[in-house]
Amino acid sequence: MSNTSFVRVSDLYKIYQMGNQEVRALDGVSLELQEGSFNVIMGPSGSGKSTLLYLVGGLDWPTSGQIEVDGQRIELMDENQLAQYRREKLGFIFQSFNLVSSMSAEANVAFPLRFSGVKKAKRLKRAVSLLERMGLKERIGHKPTELSGGQQQRVAVSRALVNNPSLILADEPTGNLDTTSGTIIMDLLKELREEGKTILVATHDPRMLQYATNAIFLIDGKEVTEENYKKTIQQQG
Amino acid sequence: MRFSDLISLIIDNLGRRKGRVLLTAIGVVIGTAAVVTLVSLGAGLQKSATSNLWGINDLSSIQVSPGYPKYEPGMSFNEADIKKITPAVIEQFKGMKGVKQVIIKDNIRGGSLLKYGKMEGWGNFNSVSVPDIKDLGIEAAQGVTVVEKGQVILGSQYKNNFYDPNQKPGKEPEQLPDLFGKTIDVQFIKWDNEGNQTIRRAKLEVVGILKESRSEHDWSMYINNDEMLKVNEWIAGKRIDFSKEGYNNVVVQAISPDVVVELAKQITELGFQAYTPQEAVEGINSFFAIMQIVFGGVGAIALLVAAIGIANTMTMAILERTREIGIMKAIGATNNNILAIFLGEAAGIGFLGGIGGVLLGWAICAVVNALGSSLLASGGGGGAGTQLNAIIPLWLPIFSVAFATVVGLISGLFPSLNAATMVPVDALKYE
Repeated sequence: MSNTSFVRVSDLYKIYQMGNQEVRALDGVSLELQEGSFNVIMGPSGSGKSTLLYLVGGLDWPTSGQIEVDGQRIELMDENQLAQYRREKLGFIFQSFNLVSSMSAEANVAFPLRFSGVKKAKRLKRAVSLLERMGLKERIGHKPTELSGGQQQRVAVSRALVNNPSLILADEPTGNLDTTSGTIIMDLLKELREEGKTILVATHDPRMLQYATNAIFLIDGKEVTEENYKKTIQQQG
Repeated sequence: MRFSDLISLIIDNLGRRKGRVLLTAIGVVIGTAAVVTLVSLGAGLQKSATSNLWGINDLSSIQVSPGYPKYEPGMSFNEADIKKITPAVIEQFKGMKGVKQVIIKDNIRGGSLLKYGKMEGWGNFNSVSVPDIKDLGIEAAQGVTVVEKGQVILGSQYKNNFYDPNQKPGKEPEQLPDLFGKTIDVQFIKWDNEGNQTIRRAKLEVVGILKESRSEHDWSMYINNDEMLKVNEWIAGKRIDFSKEGYNNVVVQAISPDVVVELAKQITELGFQAYTPQEAVEGINSFFAIMQIVFGGVGAIALLVAAIGIANTMTMAILERTREIGIMKAIGATNNNILAIFLGEAAGIGFLGGIGGVLLGWAICAVVNALGSSLLASGGGGGAGTQLNAIIPLWLPIFSVAFATVVGLISGLFPSLNAATMVPVDALKYE
C-alpha cells in the first residue's frame, strides 16, 4: 500500500428537498483513501454511506464540496467525462447484483467493454477468463435467474473487474447473501486489494471490518468515531 | 461503442420483447400498407385516366375557332359580332411569340358517299393547309402522309364506315378488304333550295392509312387542300372569300408545350375560342396529384396512430428498463450511447413495420389488380373503359420504409431523450 491518497473528499454535502423538509444525506464529510487500501464505510440505513459511494462513483452530483480521484475533480466533470471516468477507472458492485436479466453471465461480464469499443472476441475472452477465476466456468452461458445469489454476485464482481479498474466501489455487496457466499465475496475483495486495487465498501456488516485497512463511521451524514458509532448503535439497538 | 455492437444490441433488445414489438409494428404495417395501397391506386387511376386521353398526343397544339358573342336573353344575333379567323388573323397568330406554325383545317360542306365494290360508306373529308398531315401529330400505319389531288388518306377506323346496302338478314356480312393502294368511288352531293340533289363524282386512290390515335383522326379522311377548296366552291356555287367568311378551324402550334397555355390565353383575349388539351391534361394531373396527396394523407394518419403506439411502447420499455439504464451508465455508457440504443429500437420497430407494410401493400395492390382484370374480363366490355388498377411507383416502397423508420425515430425521440438524461443513481434505485 502506497502513501499517496488516491481519493480525496473534502467538505462534501448532499442535501435533498423532500417536500418542505431538508434532508442532509451528507453533512460535511471529508476523507482520504490511500491507493491500494481497503476502506469500509460503516453506518446504519440512511446514514449516507451509499450516497457517499455514488458521489465518489460519479453517479450523482454533490450539493457542495470536492471529490478528487486519481488527481481528477469528479464534481466538475460533464456527463461524457463522467462516463469515461466510470468506464476506465471504476468497477461497481451492488447489493442487488444489477445484472441484465436477458443476458448470459458471459454477456453481462463483457457488457462494459461494448461501451469501450472492444471487439467481441476479445471482450468474451476476457469475460470467460474472469468467470473462470470466480469458479463459474460451468455457468458462463447461464442467465442470472439460473444462478444462486452468491453466483450472481460473483458474476457482478467479474463485470466490475472486466475493464481492469483502479477503484472498486461496492454498495452492501454481502447484503443479499448468506454467510458463506458473503465470506467468499469479502475474500475476493481482499484478493483484489492485494493486487493493488483501491476498495471502497459501504456496508453495515461488521464482519467487513476484519478486512478493512481503514474504516469510516457515518451517522446521519456525519463522520463519527468508532466509539461514538458503537454507542449510538447500541442506543438504537 | 462500435456501430456493429450498437446494431446487435438493438436487435437483441427488440428480440427480448417479441410480442410487444410485433404488436407495435402491426400498427406501422397497417399505416404503411395504407400509404402504399392508396398512393398506388391513385397512380393507377391517373394512368388509366390519362390513357383514355390517348388522342392528346400533341400537347403543343391549340385548336382555335371563331369567337361568338356571349349569349344573353333577348339578344339579337348579328353576323358582324362573330370574330372571324380571316387570313389577316392567321398572320397575326403567326406573329405571336412562341408560335411555330398555323395550320388551317377545312372540311366538306355538303354530303358525300363512298363506294367500293358492293360496299358503301359515308365520307368525313378533311384537309389541312400544310402539305404533310404529319404536322398534326399523326402518323401513317401504311403509306404516306402527304396527299395529292386524286388521292385520299384514311383514318384507322375507315372499315367501320362501310356497310353493304343489300345486306340480307341472317347472311354473313361481306368483309371490306384492305383499301390501301385501292381506288374508291366518291360522290359529293349538294342540294338546292328545293331539295334537289346534284352529284359530283370523283375517284380517289388510297395512298395512306393512319395509325390509331384514339382521336377524331381515326374517323377522318384527308384529301388535298386545293381539291377540298374546289369541291366546297362547287357546293357553294361561288368563289369562297376567306377574308369575309373566315376559317372554321385553325390549329396554332407552339414551339413547346410550356408556352401553350399562355398562347391560348392571348388568343382567347383576342376574342377567339381557343382549346388546348394541355389545359385538360394539366387539370387532370393536378387533380390526381391532389388525390394522391389526400390518399397519402389518409395513410399518414394511420401511420401517425402507429407513431403514438411506438411512443407508448418505448415509454413503457424505458420505464421497465430504468434500472438497466442505470446499470449501463454505471458501467460507462454515455448519454449518447443510451440515446442511440433506444432511438435505434424505436427506428427498428418503424423499419420492421415499414417492410411489413410494403409487403402487405404490395399484396393488396396485386389482389386489386387481379380483381380489376377479372371483373373486366367477365364484363366482356373490352376497349377503353376506366380500369381499377394499382401501380406501385418504384420510389414508393423505398420512400415508405424510410418514412416508417423516420416515424419510429421521431416517436422514440422523446422517450429516448428521457432515458438518456436520467440521473444514474435515480435510475439504479428505481423499483
